[in-house]
Amino acid sequence: MRSILDRYAPASAFDEFADADGRPRAHYEALAATLEGISSADFRHRVTTVNTVLLQLGVTFTVYSDTRGTERILPFDLIPRIIPASDWDPIARGVAQRVLALNAFLNDVYGEGRIMREGIVPRELVYSSVHFEREAIGIRPPHGTFIHVSGIDLVRDHEGTFLVLEDNVRTPSGISYVLENRDVLKRSFPRLFEGYEPRPVDDYPRRLRDALLASAPVQAADPVIALLTPGIHNSAYFEHTLLARRMGVELVEGNDLFVRDNMVYTKTTRGPQRIDVLYRRVDDDYIDPLYFRPDSSLGIAGLFDAYRAGNVTLANAIGTGVADDKAIYPYVPAMIRYYLSEEPVLDNVLTFDCSDDAERQHVLSRLEALVVKRTSASGGYGMLIGPTSTHAERAEFGDAIRANPRDFIAQPVVMLSSHPTVVEDGLAPRHVDLRPFALLAGNRVDVPPAALTRVALVEGSLVVNSSQGGGSKDTWVLAE
Amino acid sequence: MLSRVAESLYWTARNVERAEDLARLIDVTAMRSVDRAVDAERRWLAAYAVAGIAPPDGEIERNAAIERIVFGSETLLSITSCVRIARRNAIGVRAELTTEIWECINGLYLFVEAHSPRAIGPDGASSFLHAIRESAQAFGGICDATLAREDAWMFLRIGRYLERAAMTARVLRAMEPDAGPHVWQLVLEACCASEPYARARQQSFDPVEALAFLALSITFPRSLRFCLHEVDHALHRLSGAPVGTFATSAERTSGRICSSLDYAGAADLAREGTANVAERITAALDELGSSITSAYFPRVPVG
Repeated sequence: MRSILDRYAPASAFDEFADADGRPRAHYEALAATLEGISSADFRHRVTTVNTVLLQLGVTFTVYSDTRGTERILPFDLIPRIIPASDWDPIARGVAQRVLALNAFLNDVYGEGRIMREGIVPRELVYSSVHFEREAIGIRPPHGTFIHVSGIDLVRDHEGTFLVLEDNVRTPSGISYVLENRDVLKRSFPRLFEGYEPRPVDDYPRRLRDALLASAPVQAADPVIALLTPGIHNSAYFEHTLLARRMGVELVEGNDLFVRDNMVYTKTTRGPQRIDVLYRRVDDDYIDPLYFRPDSSLGIAGLFDAYRAGNVTLANAIGTGVADDKAIYPYVPAMIRYYLSEEPVLDNVLTFDCSDDAERQHVLSRLEALVVKRTSASGGYGMLIGPTSTHAERAEFGDAIRANPRDFIAQPVVMLSSHPTVVEDGLAPRHVDLRPFALLAGNRVDVPPAALTRVALVEGSLVVNSSQGGGSKDTWVLAE
Repeated sequence: MLSRVAESLYWTARNVERAEDLARLIDVTAMRSVDRAVDAERRWLAAYAVAGIAPPDGEIERNAAIERIVFGSETLLSITSCVRIARRNAIGVRAELTTEIWECINGLYLFVEAHSPRAIGPDGASSFLHAIRESAQAFGGICDATLAREDAWMFLRIGRYLERAAMTARVLRAMEPDAGPHVWQLVLEACCASEPYARARQQSFDPVEALAFLALSITFPRSLRFCLHEVDHALHRLSGAPVGTFATSAERTSGRICSSLDYAGAADLAREGTANVAERITAALDELGSSITSAYFPRVPVG
């Protein structure tokens, strides 16, 4: 019998599964042994079954660029990614440390502004961020918590070192895939778990709920949480329904809420119901048409006043986007030293700041070797990948950088680690990243062992975003 | 419960019920037209009238009827449109539904979307309609089997029984059963009442008894009276007011319709005439629908 592992040959990157000699690493040995016993035909059959299950469950996302508004399933790859405890522990510590520093930064930026006064983070970078919210100056959210939920994107370089690629502290998504992937894999392929005991992920909704409850305004005796979604056309709508269902909280849209006397209520069949914590999956710009975009129909008139009056917790708080602006990213290690007096556990990727004259010249002269990112963009949009770009694309980005240097950063191409992934004729190495999630309440950070592995399904591609042809894997964090 | 959510649940259930009822109606009409070609055109016109869909200008025949009433996407009243609307509403309230309910409605949608008049072919209509009907019935069953008897369940129930009563009334109105026993037979089949009626009334066929069965039976689950009592009961459980009293205009309307049926006799209905009874109940159901909307789904904040 031919096994699907027969022709697995890692390319040049660090491979999660195989060591330099092509043998499975210790924590993958049991999985390799199981896979040896499975025929290609059997395996292909399971792939089809799994995709049908996902479609029936409606685990879909909407692709914005697709004019038909098609619902697609995020491709799920059957081969799990395994993270031993020795790798996870520093990840969890590093992520927690980073989130505490970013939260301190936000308290500072919207408060005293010490870090800018001391010249550690340039004032003009902060104030020029499109996500800096002037209206939020002077507002301290309940318990000083800005970043209740975050997702920190990590990659592994060619030596296998975990690096932070970017921070997501506005409305990071992806946790529903973590929950569903585990469910689907357990249901469709329990054999793969032989010899493993991955830490469970299904208590994430409970942990999220706990963090949200702990973030309620102090005066709320028996706090009520609601999850605010932009609605069914949002690409992460499935996730919103899943989290609301598993947390047992109401899923609301803007029109379901109203504000009276600076209190937030839902419109129910039994009259108004007071809301104390709003886990909002709507961006700052759309949250209150009176203060932000007046054309937004997603928001609630008066919500910002209720927030400013301290009557409702918004998770995440208003204005967090300044902390994950890509131009601020290079300063995060300095923030960690400044606020926590600690050395960063996880390093950044080397980053060139295009607003600096010397660094910009360097970037412009080496565009074909660098990845250029728009500082305000996310989701894999607005990027130039130098080595695979055309001359015309480079010229376009060069002009854009010269016109608005503040809007761009550049990084060397990080050769993301690779992982066995199902392809047409067996398994092949494909590049992966890792997004652990962190929950913050006050100064307590929880990093559940529920991380999302995204995989670039196109051979050689380094872009893992779902909008750009990425898929995902079940991710096993081992207890020891 | 959020008013928006309540309203979506109500419309989900109404549209699923309508899809089921239309599937049954089209199936029995198509069956009948096979061996009673002489009557076929009138039967199909009646089916269009029950569905509320305008018949085409050309020939009135089976294939065109199936295309329009089953698959028509230019109207919101066809079976496919009902299924789409039901799923669209269900998506908006996914957090309220159990996974099993969602999978059922999503499965029905995927099934319907995967078919077309061409795909089901000249002989496939019956099994296609059968599958829709079963799936729609499974929806009701799964709701009953997996939901707590709380507000969500009540609104689903109100939607289901209000729509069912409306369909029974429309069938009575549009199919002109008094044209003869063979039409009455078709009406009973369209309401899945043929066998229950036969069991309940073992004498020879009597149109007065048939009308009384479809309108006044307190045990047959598609009769007007049965359906209205279900709606009335659910409305009272929502408000907490005892049956026989009312807390909202919705309960007042449903109570009034219930008593008009509770204290009517077969002879009263016969005197009033099938068409008039159907007309009166249809108007009352429209009023009930509006009063439910203003009591529970107001456009402006309540309280």
